[in-house]
Amino acid sequence: MSIELRSEEGQGGVVTVHIEGEIDMSTSPKVREFLTPLFEKNRKAIVVDLSGVPYIDSSGIATLVEGLQWSHSSKNKFRLVGLTPTVKDVFEIARLLSVFEVFDSREEAL
Amino acid sequence: MNQPIKLVIPSDAKFLSLSRKVLQQLFACQEVPSEIARKLVLCVDEACSNIIKYSYEGDPNQTIELSFWLKDDQFTVKIRDYGKQCDTSTFKPRCLDDVKPGGLGTYFIHEIMDQVSYCTEREQGTLLTMTKHFKNETAPAAQQGQGKP
Repeated sequence: MSIELRSEEGQGGVVTVHIEGEIDMSTSPKVREFLTPLFEKNRKAIVVDLSGVPYIDSSGIATLVEGLQWSHSSKNKFRLVGLTPTVKDVFEIARLLSVFEVFDSREEAL
Repeated sequence: MNQPIKLVIPSDAKFLSLSRKVLQQLFACQEVPSEIARKLVLCVDEACSNIIKYSYEGDPNQTIELSFWLKDDQFTVKIRDYGKQCDTSTFKPRCLDDVKPGGLGTYFIHEIMDQVSYCTEREQGTLLTMTKHFKNETAPAAQQGQGKP
C-alpha cells in the first residue's frame, strides 16, 4: 500500500502538508519521517491536509499527536484540515477533535 | 451468514489493508450501516496491528487467522496468532486525559466492542474474540466527552 506526501511552502512561514492514502501501521512511519524534519525548522504553522486520507489508525493518530506536542512546545500552530468521515470517527472516539485545531478547509486554517 | 468468512494473512503490516478491504466488502454486502462498519474495521485492524507488534514482535513471516461471523445484527471476529503469549491482564486501555502518542489501539477496541476476550490456554499463541451487537445502535459509540458507562 502506498502513501504520497508533499509539502507546499506558503507565506509567513506556513507549510501545508498534503497526504494521499491510508495511514496505518505500514505507512505511518513514512508520515512521521516526512513531518519530523518540518518540526525541526522554525515554522510558524504546519497545516496537514487529510482530505486525501480515507483511513487512519492509532499509529497515524500517534504521529499527528507528535505534531501537536511540537506545537505546544514551540508555540507554533499545528492544524488539521479536510477530515474524511472515517478519519473524523477515529478522532471522535479518541476524543481528540477538541484537542487538535481542526478546520473544514485549508482556507479556514490559514 | 450461516458460516464464517475466513481469511489468513501474513504478519506483515502491508497486508493489513487487505483484511480491511475484505471486511468493508462484507459489511457493504450485508448492509451494515457505514458508521458501525467503519468502527468495526478499525477494531479488527488495531487487533492485527497489536499481534504484529507484540505477539510476533515485527516478524513479517508469521500467520494471522481471522474468522468473521455476521448474523442477526451481531458481528463476531476471532483472531488467532501463534506468537508470543502476552500477559493479557496488562492489556488495559489507557486514560485519554494525557494526550500522548501511542497506546490508543486497545482503547479503541474496548470502547467500540461489547465483548473482548483473550484466550491463551493453548500451546502457542492467542485467540482473541471480539463481539459487537449493533441492532439498537443509533448513535456513535463515543461522542465527545462521553464514553461507555
